[in-house]
Amino acid sequence: MWAYIARRSIQALFTLLIITVLCFILTRLSADPLAQYATNPNMSTADKEALRERLGLNQPLPVQYFKWLGLAVQGDLGNSFFSKQPVSLMISQRLPNTLKLMFTYEIITIMVSLVLGIISAVRQYSLLDNVITTFSFIGFSMPIFFIALGAMLIFAVKFKEWGFPYLPTGADIWDQKDPVEYIKHMILPVSCLVIIGTAGYARFIRTSILEVLGQDYVRTARAKGLSNRVVLYKHALRNAALPLVTIIGLDIPGLLGGALVTESVYAWPGMGRLFWEYAQRGDFPVVLGILLIISSAVVIFTIITDVVYTFVDPRIRLS
Amino acid sequence: MKRNLSVLLSLVVLASILLAACGGGAATEAPAATEAPAVEAPAATEAPVAAEPKSATGAWSQEPDNIVPYYTQMSYAIWIAQLTLVGLAEWDDQGSFVPELAAEIPSAANGGVSADGLTITWKLKEGLKWSDGEALTSADVKFTFDQVMDPANAPLSRTGYDKIASVETPDDLTVVITFSELYPGWQTLFTQGPNNAGSILPAHILAGKTALESDPFIHQPTVASGPFVITDWVAGDHMVLVRNDNFYGSRPILDTVNIKFVPTPETALAALQTGDVDWYPDFSESDIETVNALEPAVHLKVVPGADFEHYFFNLGTTAGVDGKGAADQDGFCPFKDVNVRKAITLGINRQAFVDSLLAGKTTVPVSQWPNSEWENKSLTPATYDPDGAAALLEEAGYALGDDGIRHGDCNGEDTKLSFTFDTTDKQLRVDIALAVQSDLAKIGVEFKPNHSPAGTFFAGYTDGGIMPTGNYDMAGYTTGFYPDPMPGAIDSFSCDTVPNAEKPAGANNYLICDPKLDELMAAGNATADPATRKVAIDELQKYIYDNYYVVMMYARANVYGYVDRFVPGSFGFFSNMNWNAEVWDVK
Repeated sequence: MWAYIARRSIQALFTLLIITVLCFILTRLSADPLAQYATNPNMSTADKEALRERLGLNQPLPVQYFKWLGLAVQGDLGNSFFSKQPVSLMISQRLPNTLKLMFTYEIITIMVSLVLGIISAVRQYSLLDNVITTFSFIGFSMPIFFIALGAMLIFAVKFKEWGFPYLPTGADIWDQKDPVEYIKHMILPVSCLVIIGTAGYARFIRTSILEVLGQDYVRTARAKGLSNRVVLYKHALRNAALPLVTIIGLDIPGLLGGALVTESVYAWPGMGRLFWEYAQRGDFPVVLGILLIISSAVVIFTIITDVVYTFVDPRIRLS
Repeated sequence: MKRNLSVLLSLVVLASILLAACGGGAATEAPAATEAPAVEAPAATEAPVAAEPKSATGAWSQEPDNIVPYYTQMSYAIWIAQLTLVGLAEWDDQGSFVPELAAEIPSAANGGVSADGLTITWKLKEGLKWSDGEALTSADVKFTFDQVMDPANAPLSRTGYDKIASVETPDDLTVVITFSELYPGWQTLFTQGPNNAGSILPAHILAGKTALESDPFIHQPTVASGPFVITDWVAGDHMVLVRNDNFYGSRPILDTVNIKFVPTPETALAALQTGDVDWYPDFSESDIETVNALEPAVHLKVVPGADFEHYFFNLGTTAGVDGKGAADQDGFCPFKDVNVRKAITLGINRQAFVDSLLAGKTTVPVSQWPNSEWENKSLTPATYDPDGAAALLEEAGYALGDDGIRHGDCNGEDTKLSFTFDTTDKQLRVDIALAVQSDLAKIGVEFKPNHSPAGTFFAGYTDGGIMPTGNYDMAGYTTGFYPDPMPGAIDSFSCDTVPNAEKPAGANNYLICDPKLDELMAAGNATADPATRKVAIDELQKYIYDNYYVVMMYARANVYGYVDRFVPGSFGFFSNMNWNAEVWDVK
């Protein structure tokens, strides 16, 4: 197994290298960091030329990339072009908020999806299954922007207008060290994410369980006289969970990137907003820093998922 | 299992209701106890008591890069600087230049401006103090100049400061600035304005430091000279400012000002309705009707500013003029004809856009200095005249084709009046471009809009930007030449700033090289006397107007929304609502 992990780690390094090259090219081609000064009458032509030189943007793209890479391999993600702060500091300020939001969302989503997915599968084609399926498709089809703003309008604006207890919009100043306040401010963003996330997960779990329930060993278990509960939880669910491990394993690193739309709508100071704000301005040290962290997490979690598979599925051996 | 599930769901619902019941925070919830504001955290606003601390919360769509404007050009940084690190003077709500740290504005009459215009003498107010109690003196002004010019620091711009030969401080209250050459825009140096960044910096904090662009002070200044001082800045979330008791002016009324960073206007709108925030200064012109509908709980304030949205023609020539101003590509041939440019201007119903899409809250400007004292008031905007426009195009030799698009001879080639228009993907621009397309189709002109993200649209020459490389026919965006009228205009219109391989940073996006324009701009910059400059700048405006070099679309408006409990000061068209934050109050 250790040889496998070592081999995958070396492959991962090459993968990361390719990812950084692609991200660098895309970032540099999508926005000029000095574009925001294009119409600024206070920045003279000479000022702009000097700034371009100071930021190294007048150098060929490969030179710019290798300078960044040279620092990155030493653990220095560089400084933002605009805030002048170290990228690692900027990320460290936002990452905890994103982790709290996204992991809460992921845990709730998995729990709710499991419940809905199992009910849907066990009671296939029942009224309940049809209701869950319908809501899954609605949740799956609706844009998060619409759900987030709609929820804010109802549970913050209208509830207050109607004199009901209401939830905050997220635009208020609140004490982030107060757990009650924290939970209160997480309800709407997490709920919106859960609605979208559950729709997909629940459908996936339903399909997975239905597939397993049709297997010979389940029929055998039933023939042995085992109760439905035992068949479902001891035999079907354990096997149906295998593909779920893959999905969750690949989802977790993506959580580090935050949720751009939800964070923006609920003014949540997370990674998604940080990425978007600086990507729009072409601040590639910040953009690449974030992408490098997410890419690294994806690669690492892929390896971890493969390893975990060997524990949950005795048929799989790493070689 | 069914019963267990029901119990679980019931618990979740119950917990949600209980948590929601804890909700309903008032507009001015106290900042975190650990954020250590100098003033005690305010209580809920439902029970205002005269002696209780007063607090207000504003929502801004973006977070400042840093706070010291020498190191950023972000509007939000300049806004914060208006609240915390002020300059010698500023522009008030009428656009008048008024003293801040200075006792008076230098003039020839008070001996502040020398006869040759090369020496400016500023007198500071007596007894100025930083928020930490240290004296604020002329030494701080000299230090500010030294740090701007110090090669160990990297300010974004040294424009104007590089024309200063010396800064002398004969006493604590006097600053004598001597220029090496005439610099008519001296009012933009060491002063706080919308497009200039002249905060005075504290020598007692920063002396001896280098690489100030990376110093923690520029991210969170520990002292202030403005009405408020920053006590906390939670990255990406909010900023807390408390009253500076050593502020030179009247005692700020609010004890605490919170700035929350809210990236979407829809959230800001909801937060205004719930009272989570007290004001939002970032609405777009297209939000005017929406905000207006919330009266009387939320008030709308629209202030037409000195920025303008304009469309313009690619007037580039690869040959240049007299060996100067050569662009990479020739512009669309028909645009070389003033009658074509005039016809397009007359064929766009600009007033209709202002009345409909902009709710009639702003105006069609006549020149590049709308709503400012530099505007040439003798000119009037060309009115919509599709018949006149069609006649001009006929006269210019462009006849209607079978496809409804005009074509005619241009430099020996049959040329269709069909061209692209490039701008950003902002929704209002998309809407207006569609309306322009419809207007111009009526006179046989095919106008084809392309919309790009701002980062792409404004890309520079070395990044292959469409404007500097001349890869466009018509384009449009917002700009403004103020508070001093000339530096921005000269950079935008002169032959010397046409971008090309030799001058990749050139800002002349019109790619125009007209020696007469250069001459008129030079005249506007040849004296420090405002009256003489006004005559030259009036003539410059008339020349641009007569030649239809640009289509002035509408004066950009600053659109504010604020709740009834919040009492802002007056709104300036140069200097927004932050110029007199000391008078902000809450009911």
